[in-house]
Amino acid sequence: MTVTLRINGSACRFHGDPMTPLVDVLRRERFLTGTKAVCREGFCGACTVEVDGEAVMSCLRPIGLLDGATVKSIEALAPGDTALHPLQAAFEAADVVQCGMCFPGMVMSLAPFLRENPDAGRNEIKAAMVGNICRCTGYERIVDAVMNFLDSQKMEQANG
Amino acid sequence: MFDSMERSLTVAGSIEEALAAKHRGAAVLAGGTWLMRDPRRGVNLPDVLVSLHALPALFTVEIEKDQVVIGASVTHAGLARQLAGLNGFDAVVAAANGAANPAIRRVATVGGNLCTFDFAAADLLPVFLAMNAVVELRSIGERQVLPIAEFLANRRVFLRDSILTSVILRRDVIASAHARLPLRRAGDYPVAIVSAVRGHDGRVRIAVGSVEDVARRWISLEAVLAIEPASVSADPERMRALAAQCVDFRGRDGIEADGWYRCQVLPTLVRRAIASLSAKESVQ
Amino acid sequence: MVDVSSTVMDLPRRDARDKLRGRTRYTNDRARPDTLHAVLLRSTVPAGRITRLDVSAALECPGVHAIVTGADAPGLHGIGIADHPLFATDTIRYHGEPIACIAAETEAEAKAALAAIVLDVEPLNPVLTMAEALAPGAPLIHEDWRAYEVLTEGGARDGNIAWEAKSVRGDVDAAFARSDVTIVESSIAVGRQSHVPFEPRVAIGSWENGRAHIETSTQVPWTVRNVTGRVLQLPPGRVRVTVPPVGGGFGLKFDATIEPITALLARMTGRSVILENSRQEEMATCLCRENAEIRIRSAVTAEGEIVGREAVVLMDCGAYGGEQVFLTTMTSHTLGGSYRLGAVRLVSRAVYTNTPPNGAFRACNGVYNSFALERHTDEICAAIGMDPIEFRKRNVLGNGDLGPTGQVFEGDVLGPMLERMDTLRANTGTLEHAADGRLYGRATALGTWFIFVGPSAATINLNADGSATLVTSGVEIGSGTMMQSLPQIVAGQLGLHPDQIVVREADTDAAGLDAGIGGGRTTVSIGAASVGAAAEVREKLLRTAGEMLQTAPKDLVLRDGRVEISGRPGSGAAISTVVAHAQATTGPISGTGSFTAKNTPAMAGCAMGHFIDALDIPVFVVHEAEVAVDPDTGHVDVLAYRVVQDVGRALNPRAIMGQIQGGVVQGLGYALHEEVTITGDGRIAQDGFETYRVPLAQDVVPVVADLYEGAPSMGPLGTKGAGEVPILAVGSAIACAVSNAIGKPVYRLPLTPPRVLRLIHDIEPRPDYPHIAPNWTDNTLR
Repeated sequence: MTVTLRINGSACRFHGDPMTPLVDVLRRERFLTGTKAVCREGFCGACTVEVDGEAVMSCLRPIGLLDGATVKSIEALAPGDTALHPLQAAFEAADVVQCGMCFPGMVMSLAPFLRENPDAGRNEIKAAMVGNICRCTGYERIVDAVMNFLDSQKMEQANG
Repeated sequence: MFDSMERSLTVAGSIEEALAAKHRGAAVLAGGTWLMRDPRRGVNLPDVLVSLHALPALFTVEIEKDQVVIGASVTHAGLARQLAGLNGFDAVVAAANGAANPAIRRVATVGGNLCTFDFAAADLLPVFLAMNAVVELRSIGERQVLPIAEFLANRRVFLRDSILTSVILRRDVIASAHARLPLRRAGDYPVAIVSAVRGHDGRVRIAVGSVEDVARRWISLEAVLAIEPASVSADPERMRALAAQCVDFRGRDGIEADGWYRCQVLPTLVRRAIASLSAKESVQ
Repeated sequence: MVDVSSTVMDLPRRDARDKLRGRTRYTNDRARPDTLHAVLLRSTVPAGRITRLDVSAALECPGVHAIVTGADAPGLHGIGIADHPLFATDTIRYHGEPIACIAAETEAEAKAALAAIVLDVEPLNPVLTMAEALAPGAPLIHEDWRAYEVLTEGGARDGNIAWEAKSVRGDVDAAFARSDVTIVESSIAVGRQSHVPFEPRVAIGSWENGRAHIETSTQVPWTVRNVTGRVLQLPPGRVRVTVPPVGGGFGLKFDATIEPITALLARMTGRSVILENSRQEEMATCLCRENAEIRIRSAVTAEGEIVGREAVVLMDCGAYGGEQVFLTTMTSHTLGGSYRLGAVRLVSRAVYTNTPPNGAFRACNGVYNSFALERHTDEICAAIGMDPIEFRKRNVLGNGDLGPTGQVFEGDVLGPMLERMDTLRANTGTLEHAADGRLYGRATALGTWFIFVGPSAATINLNADGSATLVTSGVEIGSGTMMQSLPQIVAGQLGLHPDQIVVREADTDAAGLDAGIGGGRTTVSIGAASVGAAAEVREKLLRTAGEMLQTAPKDLVLRDGRVEISGRPGSGAAISTVVAHAQATTGPISGTGSFTAKNTPAMAGCAMGHFIDALDIPVFVVHEAEVAVDPDTGHVDVLAYRVVQDVGRALNPRAIMGQIQGGVVQGLGYALHEEVTITGDGRIAQDGFETYRVPLAQDVVPVVADLYEGAPSMGPLGTKGAGEVPILAVGSAIACAVSNAIGKPVYRLPLTPPRVLRLIHDIEPRPDYPHIAPNWTDNTLR
C-alpha cells in the first residue's frame, strides 16, 4: 500500500505493509529516533507524536490509516538551533531529566494537553500523564516543572 | 508481523464497500489499539483488512429528543466530550473517560470496544448493558437492530457477516454511575466494573464487567431489588449488603487478579456506584 | 588546600537539552541502513536436552548472513564460578535461554529464518522452586557443577546450591538458651522485581582491524570486554567496548549478556550487527532482583537487648549463579547489620532453579533483607511490648559497635538520623486525617547498605583553551554522575567551572579498568580516581606557573580559571596561558589517578564464603511511610513519605533529591505493585506493561527528604553514593505501615490489592519452609 503524508513539514511517501506502526516509519525510514519504541503496546507513551494536532501513541497507529495526515514528532518541536519549547525549557531548568528516554513522549503528550488546559492543577496533570511512564524520576519533579511552566505562562499573559 | 508486502488494507468509501470487503474475508480495522498488539500476543495480523475511518457517518454522535445515536468510529475521547453534561449519561462519560489512558482514548473506538471478543475489561460494555442500549448491525442488503445483551451473547456469529455501525441509547434514564476498580489509581484495565442506571420507572439496572469473560447484567441482584421497597435502591449500604448475597459470578483468574478478588470487591463497587447515583439524583 | 564550597552546587545536567529534543542517540538509535539485524532462537521449555540442532536450512533463507550457536562460543563465564555459557548447548536450563542467533539484512528476515532452524529437544522435569531444588534427590540443574572453574575461592557449593556464604560471631546457642529472653521468629517471602529500563539490553557489534568493537547499553564496559574475551576465547584486549548514553540500567546492565553474540556475528559477516531484546524478551529474561525466602529468629531481653540472632536466607539465582553468588555476602551486612547484636549466625544460599537467571537491582538483596529485618523488629517490639522507634533508638549500631562479621563501625550515624526523622516529622506533620475513614498506618524503618568500591581509573588532559578532558570508563546511565558530580569534582580541584570539564564517555581503549556503574560507586570511585588525576595535573600546572610567575608553587592557588598568587585575586595568569606555556616548554599537561577498595578488616574467622568481609563505606537510611488501606478492596494509598539519608557530603543536593524521589518510587513499585510470578512451564508470567505494573504518576507522592551529612566516608570530599540507596527501606516502611494499619502481620511483598484483601480476610497463606531445617546448622554445608 502506498501512503502519502506530511512528517515534520515534509511530504513523505511510504510504500509497504499498511499495518506498519507509525513509530517504525519514523525511526526506520526517516531516522527520527527521538520517538522511542519502548513497550509497543500503548502503555508507556514514549512514542507519543502529534497526528493532525492530537497526541497519539505512534506504536499503535497503522500507517495505512494515515494517508493525508500531518505528523509532528519531537524533532520538530524545537528544530535546529532554535530555542527550546518553553515546556522543554522548564524541564531543563528544573533538572528533572534522568535517563531521558521517556521525555520526548512526555513533552509530546503534555504540550498539547497544557495548551488546551492552561489552568490544570497537579491532579489534572497527573491524570494526563497516566499514559506516560517514567522509570527514573518518580514523576513529582516533572509535575513541579509543569506547574512552574504554567505559572510562567500565566505571568507572561498577565504582563503581555 | 509488520512486514507483509502482500498485506492489503481497503479504505472503504462507503459502508457497502466495507461490507463487500468483509464478505471477501477482510478483517475490520477500527482504531487499531487492540489489533496492533496481536503480534505481541503471538497472533499474526490479518492479511486482508478493511478500515472504516473514511466513513464520516460513523464518526457522529447524534443527540436526539428520545435517544442518542453513537457512530461506531467515535473514539472514547469524542464520546466523553460530546456527552459531557447530558442528563443521565454520567456513566457513559465516566466509562469513556476512565478507559486506558488519554492517548488511547483519542484513538480507540466505540465499535472496537464492543467487537473485540477477547477484551473482558472493556469499560463501555457494562454501561451500555445497564443503559439497555441497542446496537445497529449492517450486513449486505440488511440492517439489524438488537439489544446489546443479545449481541454480546453471540458476538462471533453476528459479526461473521455484519459490521457494527452504531449504538443507540434511549434518553429515558434519570441517572447513571460507573464504578471501575483498577489495581493502580488509573492506567490499568479494571479488574471489576459495576455500572448502575436508574430508569424513568425508578428501577435500578446493574451490569458487571471484567469479572467474567463477557460483561453481563446482574440479574439476580436486580430481581432481589424488584421485591424490595424503592428506597433500598438509593441506599448504598443496603445495596452493598444485598449485592453481597447475590454474587453469582464465576470470576476469571488472570495474571493481575484471581476470580475470588473480582467477586469479592463487587458489593463495594455496587455501594460506590449507588452512592454516586444518589449523589447525582440529589443534585438534580 | 581546595575549597570544597566551590564544588557544591545544583549544577544542571548538560545532557538534558538533547534528551528533551529527542536528539540523544542511545545504543538502540544507532542502527544504520547497512547494519545487520540479529534475533535469538530461545528455548520454549524450562529444562531439556538438545538432541538435534541444525541451522543449515535457515542459512539458506532470504537475507540471512550468519547463524551462531554454542559451538561458536564454548567458554563459560560467571561471578565466583564460571557456570554460564553464551548459548545452551546440550542442556537447556531456563525458558527463554538463547540457543542460536541469526543475523540478516532485516529483522523480519531474521525472524522468518528462525522457523527454518531444526531443533529437537527432549524435555526434562523442571525444578522451578527453591523448595524443589533443595529437596532430597532433586535433579541437578548443573550436572557438572564440580567441574566448573572457580573464579573466587572460599564459597561452599553443593549440587543445586550454587554458593553459600555464612558468618558466625559469638555463641548463638547460649544466647537462645538464656532464661531471660523472648524468642521471636519470622518467615518472610519476596518475589522478583523487574528493572524495566526504557532502553532494553541492546548491542551493536563490529569487527575492526582484527578486533571486536561492541557499542552497548551497559553499566559495565570492562565486564563486557572480559566476558566477551572469555566466551569467544580471545584475549580480552582484542575487544573494545564503547558506551553511548544508556536509557536506564538500575542494575540490569551490570552483567554481560547478549553483547558477545554481536561480536561473533560481526566477525562472521564483516558487517556491523545489532541485537536488541524486544520488550517481551527483555521482561521474560530480565535479570531480576531475586525472589527469596527468609527465616530469622532473635533472642531479646525484656529491656530490648538483642542477645542472639540467627537467620537462613535462600536466594533464587535462577538457572545460573550470576550476581546472586556475590550477593550471598550481603546478607550478613544487611540482615545482620543496622542493630547491635550479641551473638549472630547467618547463612545465605544462592540456589539454582530452572527459571530465568536473576541479577543485580538497585540495593539488591538489601531491599528484602531490610524488609525482613524491619518486620521482624516490629514483631520483636510487639512481643516485648516496646515502642518500635524507641527500640530502634536503643539498638542501632553506633560508634565502636561490632557489625555481624566483627567489623568495628565508626561514628554515630543511625541514632542521630532517627532523631532527624523525628524533627522532619514534626516539621511536616502527619496525615492521619487524609485516611478519610480508611485504615491508617505509619511506620519508621531503617536500613544499611554499602558503597561497592573496587577499581577505577581516570586521566585528565588539560587543554590550551583552559578546559580539561576527563577520561574514565564511566557511563551515564541516567543518574547524572557523569554530568554533575564528576565535572563538579574535577572543576573544584582545578579552579575551573564544571562547564569547562569535557567528560569522555566510556571507551575501554581510552580509559583504564573500572568495576562499573552501580552500587553507588561512581562518585566515590571514579571521583576519587579523578581527584588523584587532578592532583597530578595541578602539580604540573603550578610548577609551570611558578616558573612563569617566579613564585613558589606552594604560594599559588587555582581559582576562576586562573593561577593566582595566594591572597591576591586577579593576579598571576590564566590557566590557558600556563597550559600554552607548558605545551611549548615541557609538553602537554595531563595526569592520571586510580582508586580501589581499602578492604576494611573483619574479625578473623567470622565470615566464610564472603566476597567482602567488611563494608568499606556503609550507608544508612531512615524511612517513614504513612498509608491508608481500603478495607473493602485492599488498595494501599501512600499518604506521605519521608526520608533521612546518609549522603556523606551532598555535592549536588538537587540532583540527590531527584535520585531519592525516583528511588523511593521504584521502591513503592516493589512494595505495592510490581509482581513477578513463575508459570508452571517456568516462564515469567508478567512479560509486558499490561501485567507488570510500575507506578504511574497518580500512584506517587512527593518524597520529603533530609540529607544527613558528615558521616565518615573514604569517598572524595567525604561523599557517599546517593543514587542506589533511596530504594533500600521502602519495602520495609510500607510493609510495616500496612501491617500497623490492618492490625495483621505482613510476610510478603508486593502488597497488591488482592494480597492485602486476603490478609484482611485471614486467607493469605503464611510462608511455610519445610526445606529450611529448624536447626540452623543443618542449613549449612561443611
